[in-house]
Amino acid sequence: MMRLNRRQLLKTGAACGLTATLSGCSLLPRRAGDMPEQYTGAVGLPDGSFGVSAIDRTGQPLWQSPIATRGHSGCNRPGGQEVLFFERRPGWHCYVFDSSTGARRRTIKADAGEHFVGHGVFSPDGRWLYATASRYEQGEGIITVYDASDNYRRADTFELKGIGPHQLTLHPDGDTLVIGLGGILTHPDYDRIKLNLDTMDPALILLNRRSGKIIGRFRPAHHQQSIRHVDVSAGGKIHVAYQYQGPLHETPPLLATLESGQLREYRFDNDTQTSLANYIASVIAHPENDLVAAASPVGGTAIVFDGNTGELLARAAITDCAGVQALAGGDFLISSGKGQLVRLGADNQPQELASLPVYWDHHLV
Amino acid sequence: MKPLFQAFGISVAALTISTAAAANTDTQARVLWHQDIAAGYQDLAEQARAFAEQTDSWCQEPAAGNRDSVDQLWLDSFRAWQAVRFVDFGPIETDNRAWQFQFWPDPKNLVARKARYLLTSDQAPTAGTIADSGVAVQGFPMAEYLLFDEQLNRTDRALPAERTCQVLALVAGHIADNSAQQLQDWQAFEDAYVANEQYRDTTIRAGMAALEILEERRMAQPMGLRGTGKRSVYTADAWRSGQSLAAIEATVRGLQEHFLPGLTLLLERSNQPELAGRIEQQFVEVLENFPEMRTPMAPLLANDEAFARLQGLYVDISQLTTLVNDQAAVTLGVVRGFNSSDGD
Repeated sequence: MMRLNRRQLLKTGAACGLTATLSGCSLLPRRAGDMPEQYTGAVGLPDGSFGVSAIDRTGQPLWQSPIATRGHSGCNRPGGQEVLFFERRPGWHCYVFDSSTGARRRTIKADAGEHFVGHGVFSPDGRWLYATASRYEQGEGIITVYDASDNYRRADTFELKGIGPHQLTLHPDGDTLVIGLGGILTHPDYDRIKLNLDTMDPALILLNRRSGKIIGRFRPAHHQQSIRHVDVSAGGKIHVAYQYQGPLHETPPLLATLESGQLREYRFDNDTQTSLANYIASVIAHPENDLVAAASPVGGTAIVFDGNTGELLARAAITDCAGVQALAGGDFLISSGKGQLVRLGADNQPQELASLPVYWDHHLV
Repeated sequence: MKPLFQAFGISVAALTISTAAAANTDTQARVLWHQDIAAGYQDLAEQARAFAEQTDSWCQEPAAGNRDSVDQLWLDSFRAWQAVRFVDFGPIETDNRAWQFQFWPDPKNLVARKARYLLTSDQAPTAGTIADSGVAVQGFPMAEYLLFDEQLNRTDRALPAERTCQVLALVAGHIADNSAQQLQDWQAFEDAYVANEQYRDTTIRAGMAALEILEERRMAQPMGLRGTGKRSVYTADAWRSGQSLAAIEATVRGLQEHFLPGLTLLLERSNQPELAGRIEQQFVEVLENFPEMRTPMAPLLANDEAFARLQGLYVDISQLTTLVNDQAAVTLGVVRGFNSSDGD
């Protein structure tokens, strides 16, 4: 593995004439799944402002669109024309961008009494947008449904009968929404204070997107294991990631798989558990194999493990890493708040691919 | 599995300290921090108890008592809180205790809204009312409102009006109870804190976060150096009592007493005695702005000549922040990141 220091990286970038600094002028690996040629993420900028930024596989910025407050995550609309990004919790807006140009096509405002929480997902045909949200006076978690074919008209609301939904994704069956319910009560009047740590009741929720009916609710072993991020493998295996709300020196499992109607929790060795610092920002199941990757910015650690057995395969120290994407060929791309993009795979040979003058926020889409 | 656990150092700052000597130094630093912070909590518990008792006694017989001593004890206990406010981990996280002590920032003026409700509701408040009313009611800003708010003090609800006294006594009692509980919980936390190495970085990050909040939100923001560019004392803390700058002094002094010794130990044992000395000296430079700067912030924002004094303090604090958050943190391999310091 060739390691470059900052000065070498800058020289490489200058030679390539890139704003981004790609090691050896190479292309970023093609990503797996939709939109293989482009990565989009919410970013913080060195001047303190915020935006949404897309780069192509050469690391060249395709576009960067300013947004007023900090963003969190988003989703690509099937069809490749639009990418959406949500403001971070409490999010009052979701922005619809032209995928090619970054032009803002539309702003979806949260309905009165509701706010977004940072994540959304489309139906496979690209018509329906499902976004996690909170009805904040009542503290009720909901899924808000928008009809993208009708100017993103608000079309429906699904009740989650619980507090604090965060990430959701669509099961490969095309019908089931897989939702991380964090269980943590917040209210926009009180900043981001967690108001119910003693009584929180997190869960993994499965919900039929056509009927809006909850078809499964699965609780972690400990009520302070806040389920916030979720992903599903191509074969339908559901993976969840926790953020533990108890003391730092307690290091309970942070990753789990739904098996036989129960959450099977994976506890790694003590060093790895400690290095994850009770906080997982992203979990991604690779669509081409059985690998799962997760990143902890608090611990500055990214890991890859076998999604069937829970065996730890790779662990890398990457400062402020948070975003994870699957790359074509079987590896993962990890993004960091320091602007880095790092390839990590089962071979445990992390490789810095690029360094950009942005702070990548939690998720890449 | 050996290669797996040779963590890949992407950051030049990620120094791996693995020797027994370093581990021993880290443990010594945590022992020192635990003891120093305990002293801060002890002071808070004593000051808060005195404030609660004086409030009770004055409210029972206002004519015979001394209002000034109530104000002073609020300030003493508030300053004791400022001194340990940087500790953002451990028992202070229980029941949002830090937020209970000081709900801030308060852009929606919830403190005033909640106070108006408590002062006018039909039912007389009880300790249970305070416990159930949320963090905007439970701490120093609410007591500050009742003691110092100019509008309130122009009405017949001004202290020592009976209801206002009742609420103040209950809030002061709540602060005192929380302070005593926090001291007890911090002492019980000792074994876990000293035994677990992750509290080294956690403690350093706590000091870094406090300095960043001090520079950015408690100074740059009200000075109009951020955001809209407008100067506004209302974005500072403790503006009602005119103690924004005195509170800053107390925070810096608290960091000097309860955070710096452990940091200095780590730096000296990392062959950085010179940096440790520069940080110690910069604390002295910041504190040399006082007692002259123990003055309300609002008049200093109002004219450019006075503003220059504020800028002098701001520059001194910025330099301190740079020394600790950039130089010391890099030396010790500690990073506060965009995602890690404020996640979701």
